[in-house]
Amino acid sequence: MRLLVSALLAMLLAGMGYAHRLDEYLQATLLAPDKDGVEVQLQLTPGVAVLPLVLPLIDRNSDGRISPEEETSYARWVANDLELRLDGRVVSLEVIEKEFSSLDQMREGLGGIRLKLRGKGYGRELRFKNRHLPELSAYLVNCLASEGLSTGTPMRDEAQRSIGFVYSVAGAETLSRLLYPAAFGLAGLGALLSLRRVRSLFL
Amino acid sequence: MIKLRLFSALLGVGLLHAQKPAAIVASANGFIATLDEGQKSKALFDFNDAAQRVKWSNLPTSMVPRAGLKMGDLNPAQKKAAMTLLSTALSKKGFEKVMAIVEGDESLKQSSPERSKAMFGHDLFYISILGKPSEKETWMLQFGGHHLALNVTMVGKEGILTPSLTAAQPAKYVVDGKTIRPLGNETDKAFELINALDEGQRKQAILNYKVADLVLGPGQDGKTIQPEGLKASALNAKQQAMLLGVIEEWAGIVNEPAAAVRMADIKAKMADTWFAWSGPTTVGLPAYYRIQGPTLVIEYAPQPLGGDPTMHIHTIYRDPTNDYGKKSAAK
Repeated sequence: MRLLVSALLAMLLAGMGYAHRLDEYLQATLLAPDKDGVEVQLQLTPGVAVLPLVLPLIDRNSDGRISPEEETSYARWVANDLELRLDGRVVSLEVIEKEFSSLDQMREGLGGIRLKLRGKGYGRELRFKNRHLPELSAYLVNCLASEGLSTGTPMRDEAQRSIGFVYSVAGAETLSRLLYPAAFGLAGLGALLSLRRVRSLFL
Repeated sequence: MIKLRLFSALLGVGLLHAQKPAAIVASANGFIATLDEGQKSKALFDFNDAAQRVKWSNLPTSMVPRAGLKMGDLNPAQKKAAMTLLSTALSKKGFEKVMAIVEGDESLKQSSPERSKAMFGHDLFYISILGKPSEKETWMLQFGGHHLALNVTMVGKEGILTPSLTAAQPAKYVVDGKTIRPLGNETDKAFELINALDEGQRKQAILNYKVADLVLGPGQDGKTIQPEGLKASALNAKQQAMLLGVIEEWAGIVNEPAAAVRMADIKAKMADTWFAWSGPTTVGLPAYYRIQGPTLVIEYAPQPLGGDPTMHIHTIYRDPTNDYGKKSAAK
């Protein structure tokens, strides 16, 4: 798919004789961590020149309309191309909202896709990476400010495909301070019991 | 050379700068009095009409339809009354900036291929009023179209201009031999500031990544991002004054008394204001910048769409705590 997209894009741009924002798929991400998880808000805006490449990836049966099934399928594809990690653990993202402009609007260069995804969990370090259609895309990624949320200085790659930062949410810290030792304690107890059981088998 | 006349000159509008709320209310009522019933039904909205409030965009009106009355549908007396209202609600500099943006769209129309001409031009700007113009009650004036969205909420003596979008394409054009740069000061003052920073300050201010567009543009009401860049508390007095000068290009669009109140608020929060830059610091090259404080977000983003990014600029001006005057109205 990646090779095909690259080849098609190269042909398209060669035919147009120029290369600028028209040929980009703008993917703007806002991250909103809270004490229960992370909300990922995505605004996808295909430029006019890349539309012929992006549309077939959404309108899979090429019937000139985007069906609810095609919306769901594309949203899931995008979700699978995103990587969210909390303290190094991969967190799966569920699509909770999707809004697609009409094909006509997209052909006019106006259309966009809004997706809201959510991953469950809490951590001290958040890392996010967007791997969706890198050959075509320009990226923005930022963390939303909210009451009770503190973040460290974010680190991004030059293209803003990825971001990483430490964070804490008021209330969640207290909870995690209580839960983590308890969880470690239970795990330790479990391990000890298992060890004793194993030893009893041999002794 | 493109031969165009400034919109205000076409309308024969003299600039009025009586900025007292009473004068703004009188201008609003004067405009409304020129309208017939059908026009009133298009121009006047309930103050709590949430859909109308957010019906603004950087895009052409053919792509994102605006409600309100279209300038092209008004007769000369009505246009004059509309411009009188606008010039009363805005500062002299603000009104001139807005007219330069509007006329820039007319310039874009003239230089566009025939099939695109219907998308641009000074006839395609809309005016609307939400609520009843009053010195005591909250009401709102909206004026905008392609590359312009002014939302002026009047709360008694306060005039709140956030959120508003100013943009320009072309960012430089010629009228009667005079070069017009609608956002020229926004560009020049920011380059002066970034080049006035020492190496250490610049290292903090310049982001190590590209910013392709506005982060908090249309449709992002009520959102705030984590600030980045250089904190204004690390600037010396001269640099802080330069930063305030950049901010004034947006805060000073609204009428002078309202702008003075706003600037005082911004100045009081200067220590917690951030300045971030992305791109080259050489004058004439495209660069993005953001100014963010507790009650302020300004973004300036050159757009590659259309060729030379320095000729196509989008900006946004927000107060996340008081967009559409919600905080002031709640007092």
